[in-house]
Amino acid sequence: MAHTFAELVVGGVLFAPFVTYLVAALVLIVVLRPLLHVVGFAKMFSHASVAELSLYVTILSLLVLLF
Amino acid sequence: MVATIAEQPFTVAKIPVSSWTFAIRVWLAMILALFVSFWLQLEAPASAAVTVGILAEPTRGQALDKACFRLLGTIVGVTASIAITGLFSQERDLILAAFAVWIGICVFAANLLDGYRAYAAVLSGYTVALIATQQIDTPQHVFESGMARGAAIAVGIVSMAIVNTLMDAPDRHPRLMVQLAAIRRRVRDYASAAFRGEPDNSTTFLTLLREIVALRPEIASVALESSSGSVRSAAARSTAVGLIAELQAARILNSGPVDVDNTACDQPRAALERADDSVLPAQRLPGLVAGQERVRVVETEASAWAARELLRRDEQVRQDLLALRSARWPLRAWRAPLYRSYRTAVESGVRAALWLAIASVFYVWAGWPAASVSLSFVALIIGLGATTPSARGFSAITLIGTPIAAVLTGILEFIILNGADAFPLLAIAMAPFTISAAVLMKSQNPLWSSLGRVNLLFLPIILSPSNPQTYNPQSFLFTSLFLVAAASLLLAAQTLIPPVSDDERRMRLLAEARSELQEPADQNGEAPEEATFRDASRIGQFLAVGGARDSRGLAEMLSCFDQSAMVRLCDTKLMKLTDGPLAPLADEARAAIVKRDTPSLRTIALRLRKMAAQKDSMEADAAACLVLASKIFDRGRGVDFSQETT
Repeated sequence: MAHTFAELVVGGVLFAPFVTYLVAALVLIVVLRPLLHVVGFAKMFSHASVAELSLYVTILSLLVLLF
Repeated sequence: MVATIAEQPFTVAKIPVSSWTFAIRVWLAMILALFVSFWLQLEAPASAAVTVGILAEPTRGQALDKACFRLLGTIVGVTASIAITGLFSQERDLILAAFAVWIGICVFAANLLDGYRAYAAVLSGYTVALIATQQIDTPQHVFESGMARGAAIAVGIVSMAIVNTLMDAPDRHPRLMVQLAAIRRRVRDYASAAFRGEPDNSTTFLTLLREIVALRPEIASVALESSSGSVRSAAARSTAVGLIAELQAARILNSGPVDVDNTACDQPRAALERADDSVLPAQRLPGLVAGQERVRVVETEASAWAARELLRRDEQVRQDLLALRSARWPLRAWRAPLYRSYRTAVESGVRAALWLAIASVFYVWAGWPAASVSLSFVALIIGLGATTPSARGFSAITLIGTPIAAVLTGILEFIILNGADAFPLLAIAMAPFTISAAVLMKSQNPLWSSLGRVNLLFLPIILSPSNPQTYNPQSFLFTSLFLVAAASLLLAAQTLIPPVSDDERRMRLLAEARSELQEPADQNGEAPEEATFRDASRIGQFLAVGGARDSRGLAEMLSCFDQSAMVRLCDTKLMKLTDGPLAPLADEARAAIVKRDTPSLRTIALRLRKMAAQKDSMEADAAACLVLASKIFDRGRGVDFSQETT
């Protein structure tokens, strides 16, 4: 069965469902930040910024896949 | 703590490699933003390219910080556009008046903020101009235009963030750590001058103070660099606030004659002369008590107390620097408040509103077609100028930079591209223009740097890339002419109603410092260190408007700074005595402080000292504070007196 996406309508303007996922992933990353700091995420990688971008892409993909 | 190596930067064509990589990042991000905008068929791809130009900041954290504020400013601006258009949709004059008032409010807010917060405030102002003013004849398109701009800005931000991340744009915190450690070393050098018996060097003090305060907006940007960024930012902020407190303690020590034979001061002196990484003997302070056996007079004890206070502050800064290095929360998370001069902000806001009103009247009177585009440029230049030290200077640079940008865009559009419609050609053709403007922006010379920024901004505005590109010479000429007309008209309006001058700003800051000293502002829950940082930021603002040339004003400003800090210190010490048997004496001391009654203060200090059980007890500390306060008040009176006689 094809995956259906919930549409986001703000003031009569239709947003692509992908925008919702982008924002949700961003919110999740912001919420996760204190936890990432506690586990020392930034110290685990030589290029922490690339690792965090990858984490964002992973969360975004999981959201698209699961919801 | 942090070793610094003075290494020669690697250069290519006499330009540091860091400038080249920065410029290439900007170009790549701009191309990516344009590509995604064309692919998504956005209505305003030029806005995405302009966003990249605006977010061209040397470090990743700074670019992300500015991006967040750009998004926030756009949301506020679009909301205001809809509200203003909705309220005055059929009234041209009223809508123009409302724009002027809105710009005034935004410039007022920008004057109360610093860094990217100030930028967000002015962006909210000129977003209204870019959306609502340009759609003044078609108000029904305001919402769509706002959405198109918002989408383009989001694409620009994402492009810049991805390119910065993948191209390994530098982080700010390693250099910040080095800078703060170096400043701490210099503060210790400044403090040790007192032990060497050298006279107080105000220039060193002011240079250090200015450097610390200037780091404030950059410290905020560190928060977005990584998941540990907010912790590092809090540690860096506490370090900066602690450094100002240490600097102030060093100034107290420098201003009073230190008894160099006094053994009570021997340990602090030795500690300051030791290597940077040393743990200062804050824990070994009981040793000082033994050394104080020979101290006979309260004045000498006050000097010893000032030395101990300096060591305590230095130890706090050392702890905060360690927290910054190891990404731990500092022991006390201090805020770093900024001094806000409301009257200067109001005056700047009113002037900005008047400049826009004059420009509006001119355009209505001239009756040009598409004058609304030119008016929106006026608002843009007013807004961006409000975030620079000199609004008129920025208008002049825009007037010089715009024709250069127009000529360069003309060459790019009609000679190099000349009808080409392939995206790779656009990308290659834009490279030399974007890269050279970005390299220029990184120049140390402020004029070249400003010209680089103006070119980086106006090139995509004038080129206005679209899919397919129209190559319309008429629209190119109109846009160029409107930009030049906007800059000239604004410069004329600023000549008619000049911006708040540096002299006026200095006078205002001085008057505010003076009145705050008489009636201290009641800042709820603000620690004395935070209040001292706020005062230091006021001196930073005073120096930024040519305060170094006004030696008399500067002396009074410093006197106010010393007195305010000392009053706060005394208040804290006296507060500890409030619940004990010495409460009436503490009240007496408070009254003497308000009256600046220095003989009474010394008498109270002597009485407190007699009642003190130990040399480092609460009472002895309060006595030392009162003695130092009386010295500073006497010296402050000297400044006032010299002013009256000159």
